[in-house]
Amino acid sequence: MNDQFLIEKAKERLKDKVLSLTNPAPRRIFLGVSVENLLEAVNWLKKDMGFTHLSTISGVDLGQSFEILYHFANNACSLTIRTEIPRETPQLPSICELTPGAVLYERELQDMFGIAVQNIPDSRPLLLPDGWPAGNYPLRKDWKYERPPEVIPGGKK
Amino acid sequence: MKFQIPIGPQHPALKEPIGLRITVEGEIIRDADLRLGYNHRGIEKLAESKTWVQNIYLTERICGICSHSHTTCYVQGVEKLMELQPPKRGLYIRTLVAELERIHSHLLWLGVAGHEAGFDSFFMYIWRDREIVMDILEIISGNRVHYGINTIGGVRRDLDALQVKRTLDSLDTLRKRSEYYKHLGTNEPSFVARLARVGYLSREEAISLCAVGPTLRASGVPMDVRKDDPYAVYDEVPFEVCTADTCDVLGRTVVRIKELFQSYNIIEYLLKNLPAGEIAVKAPRRARPGEVVSRYEAPRGENIHYIKSNGTDKPERLKVRAPTLGNYAATIKMLKNGFIADVPLIFAAIDPCICCAERAAAIVNARTGEEKIVPMDILRQTSQRTSPNKDEKREAEWPL
Repeated sequence: MNDQFLIEKAKERLKDKVLSLTNPAPRRIFLGVSVENLLEAVNWLKKDMGFTHLSTISGVDLGQSFEILYHFANNACSLTIRTEIPRETPQLPSICELTPGAVLYERELQDMFGIAVQNIPDSRPLLLPDGWPAGNYPLRKDWKYERPPEVIPGGKK
Repeated sequence: MKFQIPIGPQHPALKEPIGLRITVEGEIIRDADLRLGYNHRGIEKLAESKTWVQNIYLTERICGICSHSHTTCYVQGVEKLMELQPPKRGLYIRTLVAELERIHSHLLWLGVAGHEAGFDSFFMYIWRDREIVMDILEIISGNRVHYGINTIGGVRRDLDALQVKRTLDSLDTLRKRSEYYKHLGTNEPSFVARLARVGYLSREEAISLCAVGPTLRASGVPMDVRKDDPYAVYDEVPFEVCTADTCDVLGRTVVRIKELFQSYNIIEYLLKNLPAGEIAVKAPRRARPGEVVSRYEAPRGENIHYIKSNGTDKPERLKVRAPTLGNYAATIKMLKNGFIADVPLIFAAIDPCICCAERAAAIVNARTGEEKIVPMDILRQTSQRTSPNKDEKREAEWPL
């Protein structure tokens, strides 16, 4: 299974659902699909191509939209499925039914970008503390961290 | 009757803050839940405001044990973005430090496994010999923990003949002693009996829960980034992927011991075939817009960085997934239906005091031998009756 074989298979199976398909380096493939076709692409990758290992899910804030990247890997290649969702309605289907190991990464996406993952088996916050103010999503570009003024207990008045 | 026992985040037995909540029925764990985030430092956000070079030292501080893993993963991604080809000698030294780090991490783990299994002399012997590796790392890089040896385009320190000789000499000692530990770890009856069939994770579960590293390989899946997706000089170094098929803690121990010997061989090969030449090339200050997925086999498993550049001297996005996060889903699976006594072993680095949290619900009258089952709420009421709520002593005053 080499890169060329995978690219041909992707074109053959997903046809016009493929929005972009690049191979920037050996053993690296980036496949772009729309969010409606995400589950189909993941299913194809897992069932037919043997990409059983999900390395992680990355989110990127592009300004008007969020880009979500699913990094899959098998013994021959690392394939990334890329999809974009609008910033106003950030909704994403959960892939946990296909890949149970994705739950932690999807929870992280919810925490850090405020993306609503539908049908996620466990939607509690993963990393942020319990008292975290609602509507604050640290990895969005418009979120800035302001260091609270330092107070030395019992120190200078 | 089911009880929930919280362990952590602040617990005398925990080395690092993590919240583990287990639901037990008698001695058997029925459910386990993890609460993370006590050590969340916002490194991904911080990386977006630091330059490419500053981020090398930031990624180094993600972890204290696999510090070299994170810098290498980051640096080789940035090198792809900047279209740099580091010189051969630089890559050899980078790989050498990576394998030394793997040895020190695996020895550390083996020692902890011995300690958790109640085999403390194993722990002390192994940690004594771990110092040999730490000393080599100090000779090579000047530091024991954060080696600071990687830079964009190569490495920062060269090796001389004396360092090579000392490293090779130490390898002989390590090899001999590891042979002994291998024999001990796989033949000592009580040690083996303690590890075997604990924390079972089947091959299918390991794959579907996306486990990584020795945990995955101990379930019989030969997946190793060094082999599948060779980086640095792993495509020209001979080594084997070590697996075990027992799917338990014993298998994970065996995999790590086998990997130690592979690492010794790799280091010997690297030092004997060390090419001459430069160790680094000069890197530009900016990277072209682009993105890269960088993978690395850390001692604990696959480490992946996703780096996106926007053409400035700072990254647009740096996503880090450390191997431990990949293994959490599998850890919960391993804990379920196991015994409370196996939690420390399965969680290895975590050593919780669980027996004190257990409460007996059966009361035996010592005089008559009469036995009665008391529900928890009655027990609680009894305790409140015998020692009613007194005012808490407040003699100690908060100093601040």
